[in-house]
Amino acid sequence: MTDDQEDYLAGPVPEPDAEASPAERAHAKTFAELVDKALAGRTPAAMSADDRALVEVATVIRAASGEVELPVARQRAAIEDALRQVIGAGGPAASGAAIVPLPRARRWAPWAIAGASSLVAVAALALLWLRGPRVAPQLAPAAPVAARVPATWRSRPADALVGRITVERAGDAATRIDTIFADRLDGYRERRLAVVEGGKP
Amino acid sequence: MKYLLLAFAIALAACAADRATPPPPAASSPTHLTEPGDAIDQRLMVALSQAKNLHHKAKVFMSEGDMPSAIASVREILTLEFPAGAPEAEDVRDDARALLGKLLVGQGQLDEAMRVVQEGIAGSQRESFFVANLYTVTGEIHEARAQQLDGGDAAAKARAIDEKHAAIEAFDRSNQIDIALQKQLSEHP
Repeated sequence: MTDDQEDYLAGPVPEPDAEASPAERAHAKTFAELVDKALAGRTPAAMSADDRALVEVATVIRAASGEVELPVARQRAAIEDALRQVIGAGGPAASGAAIVPLPRARRWAPWAIAGASSLVAVAALALLWLRGPRVAPQLAPAAPVAARVPATWRSRPADALVGRITVERAGDAATRIDTIFADRLDGYRERRLAVVEGGKP
Repeated sequence: MKYLLLAFAIALAACAADRATPPPPAASSPTHLTEPGDAIDQRLMVALSQAKNLHHKAKVFMSEGDMPSAIASVREILTLEFPAGAPEAEDVRDDARALLGKLLVGQGQLDEAMRVVQEGIAGSQRESFFVANLYTVTGEIHEARAQQLDGGDAAAKARAIDEKHAAIEAFDRSNQIDIALQKQLSEHP
């Protein structure tokens, strides 16, 4: 940094309407040329830290105005570099743009997920394919299981209901058939009502 | 990305295969509950109802002294159709045969009465109080025969004694069945 610059930066802040000093004019001219070169893509390789900071500020201000646009060739180069990074077909060497290469683990993650998913799907297919035909023959011969229903819902001998038939009542079949009919009707109604109400048949 | 799509397609195929697998028929499932074949159904109730009405019809005829019509009504019970294998069918028919035998005895048709009762005993698949009752009626028929023979000559009296012995055997057989059944019912009610 020169003495003029040091004076300029270290000196008092001039009044807004004050006349620019020759040093200020020279410095402004130099900086203007530097900014023009930077915007034109001809940034000098070496410059002072203060000038570099000012150039960066000028670049940011211009970029924020939305009028900065990369040349078509550089746009294409940047897009191609990005695509190569994603599919892993090439390195960033083709372009000097500041594209950060993906880490090796991130590059293989989609392959690992896809491979694992494919294996799971193939395993599921194989399981269904192999298990399907075996289950049916095992179940086919099995007889249907009858629901456990109360004894009163079933057709059964009437001995327990009628009891021993004495000699005196040997011909009293009408009374016995009344008893049997009433008992079976109770069971029949219970069963039908249970079916209607959602119980077992 | 294309591999992810491939994996998704394979997974979809697996799901489709699962869905396409036809479910096993309900009857083959070990947990399938079906209505038992011996459940009381409408056919059994209809047959019992008909038997009940025919018995009461016969009772009315008997009260009027119209024994032939009463016998015809009881005979009709023997033609009723019950569900196959229903135990009630055998019980109701045996009971009707017992009543029919008594009615025929009352009409003096002892041989026909014996035939009706013996058919019932021979056709029964199991021992029951109704079969025991048939043996009781058999004994009564033998008694009736013995009474008819008692007024005859010596040969008839000798046959009467045989009939009385046959009656005793029939009553004994009836008692044996009753005792065995009562014991069975007391052990397994």
